Amino acid sequence: MLIQTLVTGLAIGGIYALMAVGYSLVFSILNFSNFAYGSIIMLGAYVGYYLLMKAGLPLAVSVAGSVMGAAFLCYLNERMAYSTLRKRNAASLYFMISAMGTAIFLENLVYATIGSRFYAFPEIITQQNITFWGASIGVLDVFAIVFSFTAIYMLHYFLQHSRVGIAIRAASYDMQVCQLNGVNITRLVGWVFLLAGALAGLSGMFLGMKYMVYPTMGWITNKAYIAAVIGGLGSLPGAVVGGLILGVLETLVSTYVSSVIRDVFSFSLLVVLLLVLPTGLFGKYLEEKV
Amino acid sequence: MDILRLEAVTKRFGGIVACKDISFGIPEGRIMGLIGPNGAGKTTIFNLITGVYSLTAGRIYFRGADITRLRPDELVALGIARTFQNIRLFRNLTVLDNVRIAVDRNLPYSFGAALARLPSVLSKERAVYRQATEYLAALGLSGRAGDRADSLPYGLQRKLEIARALALKPKLLLLDEPAAGMNPEESAELARLIRRIHGEFGLTTLLIEHHMDVVMELCEQIYVLNFGVKLAEGDAETVQGNPDVLRAYLGEGYKRAGN
Amino acid sequence: MLSYISGIITFSLIYVIAAVGLAIFTGFTGLFSLGHAAFFAIGAYTAGILTYFYDVNFWLALASGGAMSGLVGILIGYPTLKAKLRSDYFAIATLGFGEAVRVLLENLEITQGARGLPGIPAETTLPVAAGVTVIVLWVARNFVHSRYGRAAVAVREDFVAAEMMGINLFQVRLLSLVFSAICGGVAGGLFAHYVSFIQPSMFTSYLSTQLTASVVAGGMGSITGPAVATVIFIAIPEVLRVASMWRLVAYGLLLVAIMVFRPQGLLGFRELSWAGVKRWLTLGKAAGQGRG
Ligand SMILES: Nc1ncnc2c1ncn2[C@@H]1O[C@H](COP(=O)(O)OP(=O)(O)OP(=O)(O)O)[C@@H](O)[C@H]1O
Ligand SMILES: [Mg+2]
Repeated sequence: MLIQTLVTGLAIGGIYALMAVGYSLVFSILNFSNFAYGSIIMLGAYVGYYLLMKAGLPLAVSVAGSVMGAAFLCYLNERMAYSTLRKRNAASLYFMISAMGTAIFLENLVYATIGSRFYAFPEIITQQNITFWGASIGVLDVFAIVFSFTAIYMLHYFLQHSRVGIAIRAASYDMQVCQLNGVNITRLVGWVFLLAGALAGLSGMFLGMKYMVYPTMGWITNKAYIAAVIGGLGSLPGAVVGGLILGVLETLVSTYVSSVIRDVFSFSLLVVLLLVLPTGLFGKYLEEKV
Repeated sequence: MDILRLEAVTKRFGGIVACKDISFGIPEGRIMGLIGPNGAGKTTIFNLITGVYSLTAGRIYFRGADITRLRPDELVALGIARTFQNIRLFRNLTVLDNVRIAVDRNLPYSFGAALARLPSVLSKERAVYRQATEYLAALGLSGRAGDRADSLPYGLQRKLEIARALALKPKLLLLDEPAAGMNPEESAELARLIRRIHGEFGLTTLLIEHHMDVVMELCEQIYVLNFGVKLAEGDAETVQGNPDVLRAYLGEGYKRAGN
Repeated sequence: MLSYISGIITFSLIYVIAAVGLAIFTGFTGLFSLGHAAFFAIGAYTAGILTYFYDVNFWLALASGGAMSGLVGILIGYPTLKAKLRSDYFAIATLGFGEAVRVLLENLEITQGARGLPGIPAETTLPVAAGVTVIVLWVARNFVHSRYGRAAVAVREDFVAAEMMGINLFQVRLLSLVFSAICGGVAGGLFAHYVSFIQPSMFTSYLSTQLTASVVAGGMGSITGPAVATVIFIAIPEVLRVASMWRLVAYGLLLVAIMVFRPQGLLGFRELSWAGVKRWLTLGKAAGQGRG
């Protein structure tokens, strides 16, 4: 029972981590909370579902399609809703409002056109179990864990070793200096949103398989934001650890206490954490240059 | 007696040591200069004194009391005010409102009274208005009271920052490069202004400035920083004669400014 | 017909009260709330429960609704605003807060869960709503023209400089949150006594969105702007009978468009005044005559 719970917790935590990393990546560069991220995840899930079920493509191709689709949409989101604000040097409040507007727009557009129906992936994918040390473990959970970690590791490798990755890390320290050194900021930001979008597509696929596909499924990114705060806003390792902690704790609470208070628990955790450790686990307390 | 004392103050940002083991005191009523090349750590010291950054090590005392861990607004209440190197006015507000926000501190009234707009609030508001216009007049900004702060020319924006700081009724005023971007005539005028308000408002002044003529004109005492550490300290003559200072900074800088 | 029109007006006024509260918070202090519907819900339930179960006087219930919201505002504001953190932390916390309040409403006994509270006395009439609106607008105006209003604006413009003006960041942010929460609570109380039936599903993010859209479109740093925008946003779609999801599609698009093209909104940093209206009208007339 405990092992089963832990695996489920790690699986959901892995998906939280994916989302939290995508969100933190944008935060670390542009310094605002991209509340549109949830709707990109939702669209990614719809794309994946369409490719698999309607276009009849193989699962692997559908996942790839969802990743690429979400990456593109995330990029488009930046171009339409944030790039003008960025060039105007607008305050982060304006970015947040624009992001919120994007989320409301996309969510309700899907709602108004595709409808509020819940779409489920076939049970062959979602309901398979394997027995392991006497515990029955979902194959999907194992896949979620493996793929989340692979994706996060790949991102880490990319940021450490590629030219673009190094530029992104430099920009997350100091955008202005980066600009002075001739880095093309628009291209760089484009890359960041493509990467974040790719993670959104992957997590959208897993969320869709686990909980079905529907217009407001993106709201689960609330948990990713909370995870990011737990880990320290803007810190990528923090996002991973925060996601895992939140996933496991939540699953423990809903298994052993009550699934109803799960969301209240996450919120209370956030509030308590802000009181005792305002900058999160890995938050380097950056004093803004004055 | 020293109004402000720094004792072994150190500030690190990650790997960068912005200032290391800085100790000095400012006698009450004095104008003291804080100079040094770019990136020496001067502004950092202002940020430490005013509570914008927290210290890595060391202590700061103001009129004998330890103020090391106080918040900026608490320090303002004790009598410390400053201006910013990269002007930080409330840009979308009027010149008058910028000063009013500072004056508000001197004429407090409760939140409840504010919401009900009691007669006492009205009379305080009138007093706030009156005081704010007086500070604008003292800095020669009366004609611009209704203009948006960011519509002022650069020099006047710096003056508005000084007006705003004075309106807090400080005992210690910290000026961060008030003459930046000014030509020699303008900076000479500014030096006269600083001397005037220093006397008129009974201040102790700590001045960061790259214009050496201004520093030499105003400061009885100078503290020289280089790469976050003390290079020299003393009156204008001592500092000017110090070979280290000449080599590191003053020599070139002063000659260039003199030409 | 008359009752239909007075109904729309009453409804609009209730939202004006909540929007003015949010305008003080987001428009003046620069903090962003994603769960303002929760304050509305708390006010609605507190007031509704008091009159429904305990026969408390309507006005007292309304005040209690506001007070309860304000209290919850302190509870959520204290941890999230205390540490000198970016406003993002607060926005994220409000998101979780909105959810948590809904979950609680759905599961508490006193709120009768998802079934809701039917048969709350219908005490909110047009004069009642109008009277409360006038009071709230007056108090909000007083706030804005006081040292607290100026401090809020200073914090929004540049919080480092604001602190150097002796302003206590935490105090200013918390006060405006509480003020805003009380407005939301009072509006919720009026709402409960207008529709007579409340259930948790009425207080979703749809409501928060509508309020945010009104404030942003009306103009940040303005009270009358958001008030006017609220009336437009409530009344016009109601009269045109636009399906709510298409309304939301439009709100979303509108928010982005305003941020991109006209961040100051309808009346950013300005207020509607008779002199201004007159000037505008005569200009319009002059232009009309010119054409004629
Ligand atoms: N918030 C910060 N984070 C990281 N590094 C900082 C921060 N503030 C200052 N520094 C660093 O500390 C050093 C000292 O900076 P400071 O601004 O105090 O110099 P300064 O003497 O005022 O220079 P200038 O004459 O150019 O104004 C610099 O290397 C600067 O980059
Ligand atoms: Mg400096």
